Amino acid sequence: MKFKYIYILPVVLLLRLLTGCDESFLDVAPTDRINDESLKSSAILFEGYVVNRYMSVRYTEKEAEGTPPGFGRGFEYAMWSSLTDESVYIHDDNSWIVQQGALAPNNTGIAGTLWARSYRSIRECNYALSIIDEVDMEDDYREILRAELKFIRAYRYHDLIRNYGKVVLLGDRVSNLNDDFSDPSLYKKSEISECINYVVNQLDEAAAALPVNSNSAWPLGRATKGAALTLKARMLLYAASPLYNVGTWKDAADAARDVMDMKKYQLYGDYGSLFLDENSNEIIFERLYSVGSNHVCMEIANGPNGYSGWAGNVPLQNLIDDYEVFVDPQTAVPFDTTNPAHVNNPYESRDPRFYATILYNGAEYRGRQVETFLPGGQDTKDGIDNWNTSFSGYYLRKFIDETLPIVNPWDVAGTQPWIYMRYAEILLNFAEARNEDTGPDAEVYAAINAIRDRAGMPDLPESLTKDEMREKICNERRIELAFEEHRFYDVRRWEIAMETENEPAYGMSITKINDTTFTYERIIALDGRRFEIQHYWLPIPLDEIQSSGGLLEQNPNY
Amino acid sequence: MKLPKLLPYYLRFILMMLLVFYQSNAFSQENITPISGRIISEDGEPLPGVNILVTGTTIGTITDTDGNYEIGVPEGYSTITVSYVGYLSQVIDIKGKTVIDITMEPEISELEEIVVVGYSEQKKETLTGSISQIKGKDLVLSPQPNVSNSLAGRFSGLIANNRAGEPGYDDSHYYIRGLATTGNNDVLVVVDGIPEQLGGLNRLNPNDIQSVSILKDASAAIYGSRSANGVILITTKKGAQGKPTIDYSFNIGLSSPTRLPKMADAETFATIQNEIAYYRNPNGGMNQFYDEEEIQMFADGSDPINYPNTDWAEATLKKSSLQHQHNLSVNGGTEKIKYFVSIGKLFQDGIYKNGATKYDQYSFRSNINSQVTTNLDVSLMLSGRQEERKFPAYSAGHIFRSIYRAYPTVIDKYLNGYPSTGVEGDNPVVMVTDIGGTNKNPKSVFNGILKARYNIPFLKGLSIDGFFGVDKNWNFTKAFSIPYSLYSYNSNNDTYNESIFGGSAGAPKLYEWHENESLVTANYKLNFVRQLGEHNINAFIGYEQSKNTKETFDATRLNYPTAETPELSQGGPADPDILNSGSSFLYTRRSYLGRLAYNYKEKYLVEVQLRIDGSSTFPRGNRYGTFPGFSAGWRISEENWMESLSFINDLKIRVSYGQLGNDNVDQFQYFNNYTFNSEYIIGGERYTGIDISKMGNAGITWETAEKTDFGLNALLFNMISLEAIYFQQKRSDILAERNASIPTVSGIVNRYENPGETNPKPIVPSENIGKVDSKGFEATLGVRKYYGDFWYNVSGNMTFAKNKIVFVDEPPLPDSLAHQMETGGPLNTYLLYNVIGIFRTDADLENYIHLPNAQLGDLIYEDYDGDGEITEGDKVRSKYGNIPELTYGFNINAGWKIIDLSVLLAGQSRVSQYVLSESGTIGNFYSSWADNRWSPSNPDGTYPRVDTRASSSINGGQFQNNFWLNDASFLRVKNVALGVTIPKNLTTKLGISDLRFNINAFNLFTFTKVKDYDPEGDSESAQFYPQQKIISFGVNVQL
Repeated sequence: MKFKYIYILPVVLLLRLLTGCDESFLDVAPTDRINDESLKSSAILFEGYVVNRYMSVRYTEKEAEGTPPGFGRGFEYAMWSSLTDESVYIHDDNSWIVQQGALAPNNTGIAGTLWARSYRSIRECNYALSIIDEVDMEDDYREILRAELKFIRAYRYHDLIRNYGKVVLLGDRVSNLNDDFSDPSLYKKSEISECINYVVNQLDEAAAALPVNSNSAWPLGRATKGAALTLKARMLLYAASPLYNVGTWKDAADAARDVMDMKKYQLYGDYGSLFLDENSNEIIFERLYSVGSNHVCMEIANGPNGYSGWAGNVPLQNLIDDYEVFVDPQTAVPFDTTNPAHVNNPYESRDPRFYATILYNGAEYRGRQVETFLPGGQDTKDGIDNWNTSFSGYYLRKFIDETLPIVNPWDVAGTQPWIYMRYAEILLNFAEARNEDTGPDAEVYAAINAIRDRAGMPDLPESLTKDEMREKICNERRIELAFEEHRFYDVRRWEIAMETENEPAYGMSITKINDTTFTYERIIALDGRRFEIQHYWLPIPLDEIQSSGGLLEQNPNY
Repeated sequence: MKLPKLLPYYLRFILMMLLVFYQSNAFSQENITPISGRIISEDGEPLPGVNILVTGTTIGTITDTDGNYEIGVPEGYSTITVSYVGYLSQVIDIKGKTVIDITMEPEISELEEIVVVGYSEQKKETLTGSISQIKGKDLVLSPQPNVSNSLAGRFSGLIANNRAGEPGYDDSHYYIRGLATTGNNDVLVVVDGIPEQLGGLNRLNPNDIQSVSILKDASAAIYGSRSANGVILITTKKGAQGKPTIDYSFNIGLSSPTRLPKMADAETFATIQNEIAYYRNPNGGMNQFYDEEEIQMFADGSDPINYPNTDWAEATLKKSSLQHQHNLSVNGGTEKIKYFVSIGKLFQDGIYKNGATKYDQYSFRSNINSQVTTNLDVSLMLSGRQEERKFPAYSAGHIFRSIYRAYPTVIDKYLNGYPSTGVEGDNPVVMVTDIGGTNKNPKSVFNGILKARYNIPFLKGLSIDGFFGVDKNWNFTKAFSIPYSLYSYNSNNDTYNESIFGGSAGAPKLYEWHENESLVTANYKLNFVRQLGEHNINAFIGYEQSKNTKETFDATRLNYPTAETPELSQGGPADPDILNSGSSFLYTRRSYLGRLAYNYKEKYLVEVQLRIDGSSTFPRGNRYGTFPGFSAGWRISEENWMESLSFINDLKIRVSYGQLGNDNVDQFQYFNNYTFNSEYIIGGERYTGIDISKMGNAGITWETAEKTDFGLNALLFNMISLEAIYFQQKRSDILAERNASIPTVSGIVNRYENPGETNPKPIVPSENIGKVDSKGFEATLGVRKYYGDFWYNVSGNMTFAKNKIVFVDEPPLPDSLAHQMETGGPLNTYLLYNVIGIFRTDADLENYIHLPNAQLGDLIYEDYDGDGEITEGDKVRSKYGNIPELTYGFNINAGWKIIDLSVLLAGQSRVSQYVLSESGTIGNFYSSWADNRWSPSNPDGTYPRVDTRASSSINGGQFQNNFWLNDASFLRVKNVALGVTIPKNLTTKLGISDLRFNINAFNLFTFTKVKDYDPEGDSESAQFYPQQKIISFGVNVQL
């Protein structure tokens, strides 16, 4: 018997050896992530968390084609401009829902993402604010980061307010999984005035602590005092506008003047290249991109088909018509569709910003002239890849960098900065608010003429009435800020959307008679544009109403 | 109990002498009719020693060594009874005959079959669980070398769908009894005892497989936390004692797509482009894009450069492609050492013209067993495999997307040979080649298992055994993309413009990825197996642990000066930090397990098993789960009172119940996870930012399945076998991520994941919240019969598995939307508008409630909720999802002399698949849509009008509807194998003991209502490498 035990002993020992028996066998620590304690334990890690709040999450397949989205929409295949009378996105991609008035809670198209992703970012900011005092760092720096978080949070609310109107203000609340989501306080919308007051107060607090200048210690891409004040000015301008009607034009003008008084920003010399120079002194707040962390490659996404581009967001005749025409170097007048001189030479002597914003028939682009004429034009259905030809006869020039390739751009392009706020907007905001507040005084003229001057346009005629000035300012804004995500909000806050957004989407059909003679015929680029009263605000997505158990109130008339 | 067929000769001789002696003594009278003849087996071999008895007497004889017999039958007796062990007795009428040759019919011996069960083996007759098994020899009848593609239709309870057919990536997805959870439904695969052995089952060499068992009920509970979705056990071949047998098989085949969608031709597509422009701007008329003359040119081919008519599938794909397999194995052994060694080689070509896609596989296996001492057995099982995958620089999905997108109005290659730019630079004719570089994706697998068993001598039946398994898996990708030129023709000046595509910014680009995975599994058990009188005991207790580690890294380098140096070291010099990445993974488990099986006289059967599993996925405190299984059976046919019912060879009823677990979720969900994400740029540089990637759920633990089975097994008339099972399962604590019920205003918002994203990362953690009940019925009926030279064996099986969601995270919907609830319905359904027609007249638009922007040619959606508007509330849940509720198979095997035939049919029904092709100005249309579309000139069209993009069309993606939901039912001739075995008397002279030629077919015919694509596909755009039909010729030689 004893002999036989000897067999078992080594077997058992071997098995013990192979398997081990310590209790920690099942304790596995991750090597690719950290936890709350680590986040709080290091100022560097905490700051890493704060900085990424400038971005948020992708919420549908039709956004964040490159890196995660920032604020608003920015550079995407279908741009926000294609929900307005600035452009149409030729591949639809759920942008025509808005253009054709089919916007509904269950059918929000590309406009349905701002609600959810803004609130996600707000929660993340609130979480950071809730632990910031536990993080070991210099108190001064802590206040700067706190201000930065408040700025980001305020920007999210600004995104929400200008799209949805009344929204839910959460304060410093950090929701958790175990919360009671049937708690009505989570769904209580505040009046617009309250919402705007909250944002403005937050921005005041942020402006007080944020650095004035970007430098190596506070690099470009992070919010500055000017950014907070500019956003505040924009909010107050909205508040005073007819659709909101909860603020005063004086407050709006004063807020804009605060930025002007900083004397930090100035208009960049050249309108065209402004959008490619991230270091421009005109830019107040922007999102930077780089190779490997890029946005949609704008050159191929919006290029003419004759260059192997995909046309994408094609400018509408509606916008083209609003570029002024020079009569002589000192005089510019609105384009007149009944004036044969204008109609027969539509691309001559226009506002220089037209040439910087639009690719039109005859425009010099990449070594040849753009050809949108028929028959035979290379950038029409008679050219290559003709499924990608413009409906309108125009292509986008603004933002386009000619040094970047159209073909095979994937590892190279998509690097232009997206400008959230620039000084020209402040001047326009000021001019508009001041004109409404006090009428067209010298300050109004100065602000607006500064912009026109930079663009190469003559000053506005003197002695305009307040209403005439208003009209000029509105048009100036349309031209200067085209494709920069202002038009959508401007036509709403001015309550002119019923007019502008029910206008058909026009294009231009150009027929070549001979090398120098063309005839022009106005065509409809996209049929069925429609805007109804409910469309002044976006619908809250149906899913969200359902998740709230009906406690969240839908915007009116949806 | 079956005795050896070949009794020792001397014994047989003595028996014969005795009988002859007996016969001559007892009946030496007059009036005796002499009868003689020869008795052979079902395969024509003479049977010596067969008993022949004059029925009703004791007069008898036995056959000699050549199977011959002679017997004298006295007057008054008219029949003889022939009997032999292992064969059915026959009573034969002798009236008027003097020479009677008889073919014996073998007794069906499946009850004696040994079935592999978890950690053990059992005789089929004493099984109490729902376990199906097939033999490796059935798998090799399929010319599809991927084992997962040979399983459909063969068992009840297994649902397998082959979703795509790319060589190297043509695995089937399989489920046991359908879906049972909203979470992970993956079946646990155990190979030679190693759970989740690296390398899996798909690419095992089918020639190495002895058997495949599937554990469908509580019998899987012994695999604890991974068993809830069922378990597949693979056992590889082992050596048998005897002289070495050398087997060689070769087969060569041609594969071709089962089905490719037919696309619209250029004339049709050009007309469609006109229609799209018309719908966008009706004032512009019907010829805004092409005039009639141009359309005519597309139709008549008079200007093939400017007005071509390209069939992109034909331009890109071959009619058929080659594949072949070689297998060689040696099998034999002595009492002390037995061995099975094999090597296999497989080649599959892609279906592309001049394509880069190739798959080569090399495998070996060496299973050696040694009896070291009387009580100690040691075996070593080693196997390895090299999977060489080679693809073009573009994925199959991208290539097929391009084939279906590319416009027929664009030429593929100009007459001078220049390839065109195709669709936006994607020209599939070029993409399939290696002109743009290649993507090599080899994988190496090694599996080693050392097993030992020691019979403890001092107590009979007591033994200790164990195994130690080491698996390695190396996965590698090397993707080198090279710039190449495509051309576009400018008819204005008759020039070809060259554009550079591929690579990165005009220079070659290299990407490499490496993954190194290992799994170390150790197990030991104490066993007690003993028969004590009429009590049979089979028990063990054991311990098992495993450790799975994975390390990956990848790197990219750009700007290669030349395409000749595809090595990481040879690229451009600017090499930022970001171009590489890596990750690692460690997963451990520890388990305690045991089983007690007891039966009394093999009549009353009881089994209890238990596994306690610990897993590193869960936090301390929630880590260990207990998974018991219980089963019992009663073999009614063993009861004495059943003896009179002699046609009942076997009858058993059985029941099982168990609790099984599922832990297949991501690790580290029990705390808030933060990960680095460096995509925000500050000051011109990427910043090392941090995001929250997962919110913590401290209470995370197992998902539990309670499974109950009632089964009946019978064998009647020695030819009809029957199995019927009713099963039910209650799955609870399902690990699911809440989404719908959490309002986004809370800020707890999951980011959008691409459908194809392999590792989705919602911020919400898995929580034990879901509940799904499922139940169903399985039946198998087989008939087996021999008629002399002819035999057949037909069986059919069916599985009906229906599931019902008891709880899934849903928003608190009002009653008016009850019809949209997932709760109460089956898993994986679609929520779609119900189409009730097409608006054909203005009167239709007046009569039907419609969307504000609806127009003629649009689909009519039913106002389901009756609120007078078409809104979200009108969407209705589909009845079925894309996993079939009903699957069935028929297996027909027949033989006549030297010919054998095997046919496998597999089918499914009660299943739906949504497919909306990527059509519009973005891509071509299936001709089924193009030819039947509504248009102003075809107001009777059966399909809706075309639109700019189907995905954002009012008739398509914008209002997903059931017009695009197809009934994906099918019946498929999955497999046909026809073999001819050359008679032994011809081959033995050549030293060949067995020579067989065969013709095999896979996916030979399909009967289905689905029009455009293979009904097994699950891509909602149907852009995938199609399933393959294979016809092959093969030869097997055994020495």
